[in-house]
Amino acid sequence: MRRLGLEALAFLAALWAAPRAGALWQALFPEVSRPTYAQDSWFLLLGSHLALSLGAVAAAAVLGIPAGIAATRGGGRALRPVLDAIFALAQSIPPVAVIALALPLLGFGAAPTLLALVLYAALPLLRATVAGLEAVPRDALEAARGLGLSPWQRLVQVELPLARPVMLSGLRVAVTLSVATAAVGAVAGARCLGTPIVTGLANANPAYVLQGALFTAWLALWLDRALGRLAGPGASRSGEAVG
Amino acid sequence: MIRFEGVSHRYGAVEALRDVSFAVPAGTLLVLLGESGSGKSTLLRTVNRLIAPTAGRVLLAGRDVAAGDPQALRRGIGYVIQSVGLFPHRSVGANVATVPGLLGWEAGRIDRRVDALLELVGLDPAAYRDRLPATLSGGQAQRVGLARALAADPPVLLMDEPFSALDPATRRGLQSALRRIHAETGKTVLLVTHDVEEAMVLADRIAVMEGGRLAAEGSPSALLGAGGPDVLRRMIRPELLAFHRLAAIPAGTGAVPGPVSGAPDLPEGASMREALLLMLTAGADRAALPGEPPRHLPLAAILAAAAGEGPV
Amino acid sequence: MRALPALAPLAVAAAAAPALLGWIAAAPNRLLSPRVVPLPESATLAWAAFHAALAVLLLAAARPRPAWLAELAAVAAAVALLATVGLGAAGAVPAGGIARAAPAAGAWIGLLALALATATAASLRGGSPALPLLAALAGGAVLGAAGWLDALSLAREAEGRAPEILAALAGHVGLSLGALGLALALAIPLAALSLRARRIEAGFLAAASAIQAVPSLALFGLLIAPLAALATAFPALRAAGLGGIGPAPAVIGIAAYLLLPLARGLLAGFRVAPPDLVEAARGQGLSPRQVLLRLRLPLGAGVVLGALRLAAVQAVGLATLAALVGGGGLGAIVFQGIGQLAADLILLGVLPLLALSLLADAAIGALAGLVPGGRRA
Repeated sequence: MRRLGLEALAFLAALWAAPRAGALWQALFPEVSRPTYAQDSWFLLLGSHLALSLGAVAAAAVLGIPAGIAATRGGGRALRPVLDAIFALAQSIPPVAVIALALPLLGFGAAPTLLALVLYAALPLLRATVAGLEAVPRDALEAARGLGLSPWQRLVQVELPLARPVMLSGLRVAVTLSVATAAVGAVAGARCLGTPIVTGLANANPAYVLQGALFTAWLALWLDRALGRLAGPGASRSGEAVG
Repeated sequence: MIRFEGVSHRYGAVEALRDVSFAVPAGTLLVLLGESGSGKSTLLRTVNRLIAPTAGRVLLAGRDVAAGDPQALRRGIGYVIQSVGLFPHRSVGANVATVPGLLGWEAGRIDRRVDALLELVGLDPAAYRDRLPATLSGGQAQRVGLARALAADPPVLLMDEPFSALDPATRRGLQSALRRIHAETGKTVLLVTHDVEEAMVLADRIAVMEGGRLAAEGSPSALLGAGGPDVLRRMIRPELLAFHRLAAIPAGTGAVPGPVSGAPDLPEGASMREALLLMLTAGADRAALPGEPPRHLPLAAILAAAAGEGPV
Repeated sequence: MRALPALAPLAVAAAAAPALLGWIAAAPNRLLSPRVVPLPESATLAWAAFHAALAVLLLAAARPRPAWLAELAAVAAAVALLATVGLGAAGAVPAGGIARAAPAAGAWIGLLALALATATAASLRGGSPALPLLAALAGGAVLGAAGWLDALSLAREAEGRAPEILAALAGHVGLSLGALGLALALAIPLAALSLRARRIEAGFLAAASAIQAVPSLALFGLLIAPLAALATAFPALRAAGLGGIGPAPAVIGIAAYLLLPLARGLLAGFRVAPPDLVEAARGQGLSPRQVLLRLRLPLGAGVVLGALRLAAVQAVGLATLAALVGGGGLGAIVFQGIGQLAADLILLGVLPLLALSLLADAAIGALAGLVPGGRRA
């Protein structure tokens, strides 16, 4: 835990140092005339990136978790095939396509990215909620019913605590996906750590690209490990790459 | 305490229960005996409203169980199932404390009650209170299940094949624990089993279920006696019939006054069957009964009882 | 009966959306935004066919057999919807003018509902939705080829940019195949080695897992500088097309992401062969390589193909970003559309992308279905 904390401090220190390390960037990219990214404060970009991705995950949780609970209760079970279909469809459409499709509707800026983020983060949360709830031992539920717990009490006192590990690993996937997709949102005008990458690519400035990519990757890796600790040992990361 | 009046239950085309009517007096341990599909579990679950009968009604202490809040009803009834169903994420103590917690008892009272119950079922509270269910053996888990069911001191205890998944030695241990607890607490117990042996060991009364109907109901000795319905007799292997009959007859019934030397001693409340087994083991033809004035039980009395003669 | 609660709401939504939110939106010129117009008579037959197909869908949902009927009905309804939109557009705007027509929100929602219905019916049948969805897209392509969709602004745009789109499509296929090939070239020997040494397996999987957490945009970006440096140091590489900007960072980056699913799939596939069978083969004198080729691979083909399918779909999706680093592909069209805020252009990039993704899924899935141990498509 402490290592994560130290690394976080190092990350923030690097964010502070980056605009001041002109000599370093110039040395790495001698042919670039303006190698130091200074158009936005890195802290602003970080904050915006986190607000976008974590905000989306929060919204996705509000959507996905109750939906997952509903899908495991009586009437909702009939809609399971529709859920499976949505998961299957989502596999075939990369998040960047959804951002692109939302753009004409919502205009430039954070909105289309936010929409794509919420939709894509809701899926692993939904899936994990359903899987976790379905894995609850039936005899524990039967005993709970016989002892006199109401349906709400059964959900809150027995089912959700037992589903928690699976749900947390779903959360991990959702956050990883969200952080990665938020970076791509820079092409749609979202302000985030991906913005220097996109700006650098558009203006043939590899220094910008490197700085943006470094911090984006570092953030993503740190968050992934932090969530891994939260979910506890034995929680697995999904095997899918994040867009 | 419990009364079934014309209880029927059908789902789809299946008639699980057909017009079952009988009463369970307070303080009795009544065994619902039958094969799979006989409707015994279904009948049990009408008492705590896990199943609602399609016809007839069930009365608990004079009140229809269908009236009022089902959760409140269930919190006043103990329920033990075959697979135990302990909550894996909670400690033993927390599991036992489930219903008192639901009823809003204050913490100190709950803690004391948990300790008392663990002792009652034969588990050392200090050793077991904080353990997780995954670390328990089958027998230990079911003891915790029993403690959990008794936690709020319900007047009625429902048990659905509670010991069927355990190995024979563990099963015997829990059966005697249940007998002891029943004697100590005087609760009304309704226990479902398909095992005739278990019924003979535990029951004050037996209700035999066949095809959803009540085939016979009464005390074990009445059902096994010469004049009773042959339903129960049919379920027992002929060579064991006499053996079972003896289990229901107290050793004292055939006792003869006078002490004996060199004879094995019978424990308090032993049945004729226990006396027979004791004599076999010791190679004796009589056994000494406890208490004053001294009495003993001769083998001849056991033979007479087995044949259905003599006082019952 | 099980299908009805799932499919009925979707069928109703598909019918209601265009009725309530409009089939066609038209504008007299490019400057004005399109407004919903009533459906002209030119589309009446298609409209009727659409509703007939929906009725069949509902009927099929209520009966368990035949299992494929619901899917067929949903696909038919989607094609009929497209036909209605196309024919309606032809009636709504004069041919050859500057007026433009596009599907209205209701039509889009209806299409989405039908796509979901198709996928749901497929999953109820226990199969993959890729094939029926491809069938729907193919149906749309047939309509396009027949000229029924010509009045739509999308079709006009496509006609004008056809060579560009095809080039982008070809590029996209090249990127995906290149990345898959590279990943396989690395994963197969590493997986084979991992069979013998647990430590290699652990290290391999750990490294591949770590990459999964890195955003692809960042990974591509990080690869640019070293690749550029390499190309400067070895001009031969630059001549071969491996530079900082170009397909190289994308292909290498995508391959890095594919390593984990491929590695897992290969290892699982290799392990399908029972150990005593392997021992018997070794006893007969087969070298480890022969064991791999003649025993493990055939027996594990199903599992391996399953992993390959996943990897292929991922490759297609990830290749979309290649355009940002100069790698071409359909992403170029999408980003052009983003830059111009032109919905039609974006669609012209996304639709082939979707088709490609589904094609990869269906094709490899079908292959997997032929092999023992593979899941039926």
